[in-house]
Amino acid sequence: MIETSALVKRYGSKSAVDSVDLHVERGSVYGLVGPNGAGKTTVLALLAGLRRPTSGSIRISADPQQVAVLADTPRFDPWLTGREAVALAQHLVTGSDDHVDTMLDEAGLSDAADRSVGGYSRGMLQRLGVACTMVASPSVLLLDEPASALDPQGRRDVLDLVSRMRGAATVVFSSHILSDVQEVCDTVGILDHGRLVFQGALDQLLAGSGVPQYLIRLRGPVEPAIRALRPHEWVLDVEQTGPATLTVTVSSFAEAETALVGALAAADARVVSFGPGDITLERAFLEVTRTHAEAGRPAIAPDPENSEMP
Amino acid sequence: MTLWRLEWLRLVRTKRWVALLGVYVFFGLLGPFTARYLEQIVSFAGGDLDDVGAEFPVAVPADGLGQYVSNAMQVGTVVAVVIAAGALAFDSVPEMGVFLRTRVTSIRAILVPRVVVTCAALVVSFLIGTAAAWYETWVLIGAPDAAGVLVGAVYGSIFLCFVVVLVGAVASATPSVLSTVLLSLLVLLVMPLVGIVDAIGRWLPTHLPGALADLADGGTPLTDYLGAAIVTLAATGVLFEVAARIATKREL
Repeated sequence: MIETSALVKRYGSKSAVDSVDLHVERGSVYGLVGPNGAGKTTVLALLAGLRRPTSGSIRISADPQQVAVLADTPRFDPWLTGREAVALAQHLVTGSDDHVDTMLDEAGLSDAADRSVGGYSRGMLQRLGVACTMVASPSVLLLDEPASALDPQGRRDVLDLVSRMRGAATVVFSSHILSDVQEVCDTVGILDHGRLVFQGALDQLLAGSGVPQYLIRLRGPVEPAIRALRPHEWVLDVEQTGPATLTVTVSSFAEAETALVGALAAADARVVSFGPGDITLERAFLEVTRTHAEAGRPAIAPDPENSEMP
Repeated sequence: MTLWRLEWLRLVRTKRWVALLGVYVFFGLLGPFTARYLEQIVSFAGGDLDDVGAEFPVAVPADGLGQYVSNAMQVGTVVAVVIAAGALAFDSVPEMGVFLRTRVTSIRAILVPRVVVTCAALVVSFLIGTAAAWYETWVLIGAPDAAGVLVGAVYGSIFLCFVVVLVGAVASATPSVLSTVLLSLLVLLVMPLVGIVDAIGRWLPTHLPGALADLADGGTPLTDYLGAAIVTLAATGVLFEVAARIATKREL
């Protein structure tokens, strides 16, 4: 398990990480997402012990040597072979190099294992970095953009490797490629300007905790319902997204829960189905960071038990 | 694959050993030759010695080793600083620093092999160069004092180890290989300036490189450089500790 409490990292007057309370369950795959400069790499460096926090605390339930880190652009001495790099990575931690060939094979580097790393492409270096990170079977993996430089097949392989670690290791996976995070992570933390603006289960975020939207399917004409909903203050937007479908963006679930059904009834709308918007992580992420920026509010790290859900 | 083997491979595959050995052996062979044939070399180069009335003293064995030391300890030290910086500035590429730092329990595990292998390569190169200079001096000029050469070579080796650890300390506090090289050379250049005051200079590490030439004539007591050697060994130990502590505190 990984936990941080009020974690702060300042450079001069600038806060790179501001009061971050991270909670990563043992054996989970945690996606740390955020725009460039949000503080993802700094958080990972703090967790890895490569930087010291200005204040706050970090608790990792693992021996420091069992914490493996993958930099966003892995680099190695160019005169080493791929096999030697992976062997060094394992030997430094376990004192043996018995998993090297297996790991090279899993990373798709068997054919290039005896070539100098200096001749590797960026994608191959990334695969090599992943192999070096996983070869010693760490119990905590901190991966900084592990698939960012890879082609589609390479990305697929790395995501599969990360997925396979679920349960065997605790993985914190930073990425700006939200589809990757959506695919492999079960928990998500959204960082924005150094603050954790959302933390919780991926399902919870996608279900609408970050983007208060409802998907409403009607029987009959939808225009009367649109006209009836728009004047309400708590309705931010109403969009016809299908022949008989409306997507209603609301200012808060609390208001919508008490008033939306009534408003539809008042408009004589014939409701076939009604539920939270089916959204992608990308949309949820944009909504959460937009809301956070507009409100200028402090970090939200909702308790999964008590977070606002439709 | 260990960190010791990593350093050995760095030395062999990057051909750094060729640069080190080449410099010391080249000057080892050139030094006694130029000491013995200096007059002829100047004449061959076009100098009319009769007109200016210049007179060259007859070369003695200490001159052969003196020429070696003066060349090898200048160019050789610059090469040594560059090679040591390449090995010891392991954080200059942060991603490589991350790879190593997150896999060891102490920064000393990274530092020790790098310092020891670099020192060993440097000392072996210097000793082979010294052996070449000794042999050629003996053939061309005459036999230098054997004890003086041996003890002088030990003093020279101590100085070279000091240089490596000094580079390590500078590397732990600077961001790149280039800045490590420049700052280390600056320190090594300033030290002899401080040593102009003889009472101070005879205790400084930069006093040691001259020992080989000085002791080769057999007239100087072997213990004349002992004080500087002790100070240098102590400074080497302190600098290693400084390097380890600064590197431990360093953030990537």
